[in-house]
Amino acid sequence: MRSTRNVASPENDTAAGYFSDPPLLVLASLANGPKHGHAMIDDIDRLCGTRLGPGTLYGAIARLEQQGWIEPLPAEERRQPYRITVEGLRVLRAKLTTLQQFTKAGLRRLASL
Amino acid sequence: MNPRLARLLTRLYPRVWRERYAEEFEAFLQSGPSGLQAVANVVWSALHEYVIPTRGNPMNQNPNSFRSILKYPSAFLPLAMSLGALGVLASAAIYGLLHGAGGIIRQPDEGTAAHLWQILMAGQLPILLYFAVKWLPRAPRQTLYVLALQAGAALASMAPVYFLNL
Repeated sequence: MRSTRNVASPENDTAAGYFSDPPLLVLASLANGPKHGHAMIDDIDRLCGTRLGPGTLYGAIARLEQQGWIEPLPAEERRQPYRITVEGLRVLRAKLTTLQQFTKAGLRRLASL
Repeated sequence: MNPRLARLLTRLYPRVWRERYAEEFEAFLQSGPSGLQAVANVVWSALHEYVIPTRGNPMNQNPNSFRSILKYPSAFLPLAMSLGALGVLASAAIYGLLHGAGGIIRQPDEGTAAHLWQILMAGQLPILLYFAVKWLPRAPRQTLYVLALQAGAALASMAPVYFLNL
């Protein structure tokens, strides 16, 4: 009898492709302009299908702000927008370049199987 | 999310974090969904903030600084033991005063307070030795400061025994 335990399904693919590096996701989200918390969550969801929880998002925001990679803008009503700094852009570019090289190498290995 | 729940969840975070983010985080929570998943995420993140704080704990803090070294058990335990020994003497003296002896009541077999004091003072010696061996090569100056502090605490605990002939 054939086992269906390890057969890939669209749902399994989504779960396996789940990417979670909250600080990197926040930096990537802010790369195309300043955003407040909920806009970041929706943008990241559209970007890679990962929906960050409120605590996770603010954990990432606090770390990024501490490192000087993002900065707050004047509050709009009760919403607090953030923007990426020049240093943050440099870090994002470096991280994504490394990730791209890693992805290329990994996919090459998979293709040779 | 319910404003009360949002406020309660925000209060779970450490004070230093709240000083910077409480207002905007509370507003952010209030304008978002209040599912169990969101609540669990905030609770977990608040606990995480206590373990690995982002505020009030610079990421580039020198691990060999006096304050960092003092947080290690081998650094603060001898201090605590010396102060504990001093506390034992103080409580014995207060007990004696309350019972009209005018100070520590002398007992033929030294008594519990004396044994406790001896255990606390002798017990810190191996910890002190471990601390010195571990930290002196890594950060000599800062370690010497901590050792001086430990010696001061030990002397403060021994002084009443010496001067009052206990």
